[in-house]
Amino acid sequence: MGNSETFEEKTPFAKLLRVVQAFFVKHHYILSKIAMSIVTMLLTMVMIFFLLRMIPGDPVYQYAIGIQQQRRITFEEAYKVAVQMLHYDPNENILRAFLRYFSGLIQGDLGHSIIETNVSANSLIRTRLPWTLFLSSCALFISFFVGITVGGYVAQHRKGLANKAASVYIALSGSIPDYLMALLLVINLAYKYKLFPAQYNYDAFSVTPGFNLPFIRDVLWHGCLPILAYSLVNTGNWIMQMRGSCIGVLGEDYILAAKARGLSSRTIRSRYMKKNALLPLVTSLGMAFGGLFGGAVLMESIFNYPGLGLEISGRILSKDYMVVQGLIFFSGFMVILVNLLVEMIYPWIDPRVRRE
Amino acid sequence: MIKRITSNVQLTVGLMIMAMFVLVTFVGPIIFPYDPNPVVTEIYLPNSLAHPFGTDWMGRDVFRQMIGGAGSVFQIAFYAAVITVLVGSTLGILSGYAGGKIDKIIMAVTNIFLSVPAFPVYLVLASIMTLESPLAIAVVVSAWSWAGLCRAIRVQVLSLKERDFIQICKVMRMGTGHIIFKELMPNILSYIIINFVIAMRSAILASVGIMLVGLASYDPTNWGAIVSAARGRGLINPMNVRILLYPLTAIVIFQVAALLVVNGLDELLNPRLKVM
Amino acid sequence: MEYIREPLMQLKNINMVFQKQSSLLTDKKFHVLKDVNLDIFEGEIIALVGESGCGKTTLGKIITGLYKPTSGDIYLEGERMTGLLSKSITSYNKVQFIQQDSYAALNPVRTIYQSLYAPIKTKNRSWSRSQINRKLEELMEVIGLQPADQFLSKYPHQLSGGQRQRILMARAISLDPKLIVADEPVSMIDVSMRLSLLNLMKSLNKRYNMSFVYISHDLSTTRYIAQNGRVCVMYLGEIVEMGQIKDVIRSPRHPYTRALIQAVPVPDPDYVSDGELPLKSMQLAALEDRPKGCSFYERCLYSCEACRERVYHRDTPTAKVLCSHLEAVPDKPIYETFGE
Repeated sequence: MGNSETFEEKTPFAKLLRVVQAFFVKHHYILSKIAMSIVTMLLTMVMIFFLLRMIPGDPVYQYAIGIQQQRRITFEEAYKVAVQMLHYDPNENILRAFLRYFSGLIQGDLGHSIIETNVSANSLIRTRLPWTLFLSSCALFISFFVGITVGGYVAQHRKGLANKAASVYIALSGSIPDYLMALLLVINLAYKYKLFPAQYNYDAFSVTPGFNLPFIRDVLWHGCLPILAYSLVNTGNWIMQMRGSCIGVLGEDYILAAKARGLSSRTIRSRYMKKNALLPLVTSLGMAFGGLFGGAVLMESIFNYPGLGLEISGRILSKDYMVVQGLIFFSGFMVILVNLLVEMIYPWIDPRVRRE
Repeated sequence: MIKRITSNVQLTVGLMIMAMFVLVTFVGPIIFPYDPNPVVTEIYLPNSLAHPFGTDWMGRDVFRQMIGGAGSVFQIAFYAAVITVLVGSTLGILSGYAGGKIDKIIMAVTNIFLSVPAFPVYLVLASIMTLESPLAIAVVVSAWSWAGLCRAIRVQVLSLKERDFIQICKVMRMGTGHIIFKELMPNILSYIIINFVIAMRSAILASVGIMLVGLASYDPTNWGAIVSAARGRGLINPMNVRILLYPLTAIVIFQVAALLVVNGLDELLNPRLKVM
Repeated sequence: MEYIREPLMQLKNINMVFQKQSSLLTDKKFHVLKDVNLDIFEGEIIALVGESGCGKTTLGKIITGLYKPTSGDIYLEGERMTGLLSKSITSYNKVQFIQQDSYAALNPVRTIYQSLYAPIKTKNRSWSRSQINRKLEELMEVIGLQPADQFLSKYPHQLSGGQRQRILMARAISLDPKLIVADEPVSMIDVSMRLSLLNLMKSLNKRYNMSFVYISHDLSTTRYIAQNGRVCVMYLGEIVEMGQIKDVIRSPRHPYTRALIQAVPVPDPDYVSDGELPLKSMQLAALEDRPKGCSFYERCLYSCEACRERVYHRDTPTAKVLCSHLEAVPDKPIYETFGE
């Protein structure tokens, strides 16, 4: 009616314009979210760049001195050589440096180390990220699934002992920082009782990496303590969230109607409560997953686990800032990306949020 | 009012424990002064009346160290919470009430702070600045936590803004200052108070983490510093383990107390209908 | 129509279009009010009736200044107003607002005293606390909530709905307005309480000579409060019929008004209605694509092709009607004793 009748598609160009317009109309929600994410990413790039520039100290200096002594050239020339080799000139015009950084990022180059040659952020990510993800995602999924199961159960049996025990557990586990829990586990299980190894991801002396059983077993054995520490501390949070969400759902009228129809607690729990209560938790889960890419710095440092977090902290302490820049940007990028994906998936699982 | 507080078990217990900590902070060092000088003859003494928690690897009394350190722990938590709440709520109210461009700008900045992972940035900031005082650590720690609060308060302000009683203030020509401070704020005050305590909890978490990495060693009596030093000495040695456990337990107790206060305040200030 | 006196407030050619940005390139436009002309006189009670979504609340908010019309002029006591914020404080305080939901209209964390004190103090900065207290006592007496202290110290959730609604009225008259817009003030109140509230509003109108704009979808309360006043029947953002309420209810002229009156159940055992409403369909037209001519065309039983193209105002002995095909509409009263 109305508008569309008055507009006649005379030329193919006009038709194309209509198609584009329809596309924008239909996907407005997604497109605006993507635009917002891009803006955030750009601002993040800027912030990281300027943040790292504020660090005092000139790492090129040391390198230049070494070169000068090696090649017996003047300091100025040695400095130039150093700059070239390290791709880093502290005296460069800051805007030009930013543009270089920016263009490098767009092409996927996340920065190179100025301390070791042939080490770039990309290579570090490739080697270290899988280990970090292995630990963190195992722990996340274990704590999530245990958490929602327990949370669902205690929500239905609120007066029982289980709920009280759960509350105590939530209070305690939420108060111990995860790294302190890790310390406790290392002290007791690794040193005192020698049940699990205290460090590293696998024993390089006894197994060789690859898809062989001894390697996999060794990796799992080494991963036990970190995963256990992380899970113990975080399950409480999931229990709490699930319990709260379930209590909200249980108060709804359709649950009352289900009870009136005579459905058992277990049926109600699995068919009605879980699906509805999980909806807000999905966003939480997505955000937690995004946060994994930041690396659990302290956990990895306690276990000396060669993951991304340990790498970042080590490089910061040794002032290898160029590579740190790229690594932090990578983490931020992944967080933004995962959040965007969660926002796009959410309407698919929650019909109330869907747009026409 | 006092009666309402005392009738809430969680709140009372939590506040009492926290009050004890505060007491220790102020009165402790006077009753139990700490002598930082090493006494080489008394290394790793077991618990006794003279040294209730034993002595450390340099012969210093652990108990008194902890009492001395309570002050710096508390200071960090308090300053960080103040900064977080001030910055977070100001920006959140501004962003929610003003709307338009200001809102978009503040939200864009908040998004950055929410996307970049906090811990590596703490380390970077710690390298930029030398962390010499509890205020400095507090600033670093709260640099990341204000963003979450800002977003939450913005959401609340946005929904409150459309409520009838705010709309009628406009019809009655009441000033913006009145609307923000006398009408809006009292409605979100309970939320801000609860978040203050939450900010204290996360500040302690983050600050102890920073100390464990070794970047903030200005005050060796701070509980996090004791933990870090004990770990540095090697946890294979059970003596070090013993020393580590005291500050660890103290930290956990403080966190639990803060959690009780948060839950108690939530019950007190936001009465909800009981669900069958 | 000749005016005996100057109107207190004049709305000329008010159009209100809400834009909802539903995509990057196009916006959905909701043409909520179309060419509304209304004059409100001092001391009169005028009613706005219509079904949900017809724009009466929007019109009420435009009158109070909460919305700025997309086009059109508003004149208050002869002065041209271009929006709530652009005129001086004093002139717009002459219009006040009573909301539908009394619980949402009061700040839940402030006492009644605080909520009533602040606007008075804002308007009269020089008054002392005792002066304002005296005024509050007077107000509480007028609205019938005594002893005053008992009510002033309470919080909104501690009062009943009827009491809260009276507080809203007190707040509205505390600034000595000339015009009060009441947006469905009794629709959330128990039926038993409604009469006393309506009587209160009538007494305020008589005592202070305040004009009331009474917005409602309920014809019976409208009829009661606007006994000697006018009624405006609204449909899809246009005023389709306007006249003295007695005449309009007795002999409605616009087809929509006729359907509206006919829809009211009659408590007369001898009256048997055929149960059919004189409407072609129950579907409301969309606000997005307004037809060029009459908005009621789709549902009207008496429409003709010409109605699609243009519609204009007609004057009848009883009312001003927005219908171009008035000849076809029957003009006998719906029910003989209606309107008395």
